[in-house]
Amino acid sequence: MIDRSQAPNIQSVSEIQFVEPERRELAPNLEMIAMTSVPNETARFDLYFDAGKCRGDKSVASLVNGLLLSGTESKTSVEIQESINSLGGFHESGMSTESAVFSIYCLREHLETLFNIVTDAIENVAFDPSEVEELLSDRTQKLQINQGKVNFLSQQAFREVLFASNPRYARPVELSDYENVSIDELRNFHQRFYKNGLMRVVVVGDIQQSALDRIAMRSLDLAAKEQPSFETTITNTSGRVTVEKKDALQSAVRLGRILFNKTHPDYLDFLVLNTVLGDYFGSRLMTNIREDKGYTYGIGSALVELDQTGYFTIGTEVGSGVREDALEEIQFEIERIRTELVPDDELERVRNYMMGQLLKSADGPYAMTDLYLSAHIHGQSLDFYNDAIRSIQTITPERIRELAQRHLDWNDFSVVTAG
Amino acid sequence: MIKFERFSLPNHLRVLFHKDATSPMAVVNVLYDVGARDESPEKTGFAHLFEHLMFGGSVNIPDFDAPLQKAGGENNAFTSNDITNYYDVVPAVNLETALWLESDRMLSLAFTPRSLEVQRSVVIEEFKQRYLNQPYGDVWLELRPLIYKEHPYRWATIGKEIEHIEQATMEDVKHFFKRFYHPGNAILCIAGNLELDYVQTVVEKWFGDIPSVGENLRNLPQEPTQTEYREKTIERDVPSDGFYYAFRMVDRLHPDYLTCDVLSDVLGRDKSARLFTRLKKELQLVSEVNAYITGSLDSGLLVISGKLNPGVHFDALDDALWNIIDDLNEAPVSSKEMDRIMNKIRTSKAFQEQGLLNRAMALSMFELLGDAEMINQELDQYASITAHDLLRVGREVLQKNQCSLLKIKSRRND
Repeated sequence: MIDRSQAPNIQSVSEIQFVEPERRELAPNLEMIAMTSVPNETARFDLYFDAGKCRGDKSVASLVNGLLLSGTESKTSVEIQESINSLGGFHESGMSTESAVFSIYCLREHLETLFNIVTDAIENVAFDPSEVEELLSDRTQKLQINQGKVNFLSQQAFREVLFASNPRYARPVELSDYENVSIDELRNFHQRFYKNGLMRVVVVGDIQQSALDRIAMRSLDLAAKEQPSFETTITNTSGRVTVEKKDALQSAVRLGRILFNKTHPDYLDFLVLNTVLGDYFGSRLMTNIREDKGYTYGIGSALVELDQTGYFTIGTEVGSGVREDALEEIQFEIERIRTELVPDDELERVRNYMMGQLLKSADGPYAMTDLYLSAHIHGQSLDFYNDAIRSIQTITPERIRELAQRHLDWNDFSVVTAG
Repeated sequence: MIKFERFSLPNHLRVLFHKDATSPMAVVNVLYDVGARDESPEKTGFAHLFEHLMFGGSVNIPDFDAPLQKAGGENNAFTSNDITNYYDVVPAVNLETALWLESDRMLSLAFTPRSLEVQRSVVIEEFKQRYLNQPYGDVWLELRPLIYKEHPYRWATIGKEIEHIEQATMEDVKHFFKRFYHPGNAILCIAGNLELDYVQTVVEKWFGDIPSVGENLRNLPQEPTQTEYREKTIERDVPSDGFYYAFRMVDRLHPDYLTCDVLSDVLGRDKSARLFTRLKKELQLVSEVNAYITGSLDSGLLVISGKLNPGVHFDALDDALWNIIDDLNEAPVSSKEMDRIMNKIRTSKAFQEQGLLNRAMALSMFELLGDAEMINQELDQYASITAHDLLRVGREVLQKNQCSLLKIKSRRND
């Protein structure tokens, strides 16, 4: 009989193979990243535009993003969709405050054709009034639905307090954004940030060099004319906001503070602190607020990066009756990590867990490309991850406490509840 | 082509092994052949609550998560109306940690009252978060009992009502475990850069001594053939009117199952599909519309759902929708349309098979259906579907007396 109370021996992961994609500078403000060692037929390309929400007034950036496949002078939106779908392509569009990414997933044999279809559609958007009307109506409905979700309400209010120092970053989406939108406004944004706003082309797939060359040539037509620059004056503000929602069964809780991104010397060590506190299933917040108190289905923390800075945030949805109790427990856990040393066995677990996660993040061409991009976008090379391994393996409980004392002072936090 | 090996243990545990030499990670997937359909009508939501309890400590190991995290791994699970699926992703060198943990909870749970108490609260919060505190969140709680009158698909995985979860007792928990959690009711799939000999040795080591329990015979009430059109309207505080047309279709193993899937693609897979181009682009009746199948093991559903544009009445939509269905049942789908759909299926299948975890889950599911090898036949089966098949199956499924319609009427529109 085996002794089941005895855990099998474990081996720590100590080395990770990072594979670097090929990088070409196509123009002063345009680069191409290509990961061609893909052992199957799948492929993807991403187009990164300097067209994030902060580039436009109100919701202009997000509306233009929603119109990228809405038709050109020679092709209707239905025809564009048909040409993408008949080649088995799936498209996805992502918007953040600072950038806009358009992606296609397909089989590699169709990648180049799809690239040409999509760049043509994006370059030549005609801004047909009926397509614009339709989008405005759809967005109005979506926003009305979102306004019925406590999580959405808390996120909007959180941005408002957190980014109080910068109206562009703080501004919530409002229903009035979708009224009286002028087509000229959309056209001007498109002209500046899409037709002349392509910053990066990413290709993942077993694609021939000659095809990559042609993709590179074509990309130049949309190249960004200026080096994107971002807000450097964001400072932390704190405050408590309560958004009322009648009859809500749960309250969404969101809190956090402006902090930093990968370029800050504390970043990597802070990630370990963040994991201990709230970034995995065994984290202190999950253990206390879900597994001990049963207040929530889930709670987590994260360090979100911006170009010039970043912010730390904790988010959860809890039973309406225990909202204040949950906040107290969150505050308790933050105080605890600021005052007590993380026990060795807990830190050991977090080290191994984080190494396993990093190993997984480098597993396969898609994950590896995204891992590379995550460093590259913040001006770091793949060496960054060797530094990460060193940080994970050598950080001490004292260092974690020091970081918590320096960066997690409750008085610096913006705290929002909705529901 | 996904290659795999298959073996079983004397205690009837079925094991699949899929080698992937390129990944540093290993996946351990354990599928238990139990879902919400196996619950008693008075104790719904139990299979899912039980899934939560599987993380609350097993007979020899007080905590499931911590040792796995210590081995650099992570895990999760999901429950459907048909199955409960647990998975662990670990660095391949630490495969045994996952096997140790999974085998101990297959052997027996710790059954601590504390775990039951806390997970009841967690699941109740999940119930609120996902079903009650979201606009349109309770649609499936309403739709299921409209369609299913006998079969346990009439309740959702989360359960009929919060009270059922509140009332769950330790007695229920033990009984459920004994009945459904044993080697003969499970499929284990291991994937990663490993050798078959090694996998056999360690599986034998950790799972070999778990006692076998007799076969678990399932005798679910089958849903009678639907013979009449059904309709229900609910009023909710939502911004727009919503609609769900649900058509009864065949079970997962029926030869027409994939044909139904393709039918739903023709109708509403993407923005080139008929519902989108006609209802949204031409007639401007809807803001969104989709069609899909539920993919359940017993007789399932082909669903058309969406939201009306402001000022549009349900009747206008209804007329237009049935016109589209009539067209589909009248004339064969063009080869251009078929090609488009097949190309989409090819792409999505290629991406699904990209990930190691997806492969392990899919292999387990196909093995449950009868043979994991079916994973490699599916694409050919899709490709062999003809326009004539679509016409034949469409005429059976897409007709009024097979349909149940749920309308969600916005109180704000009054």
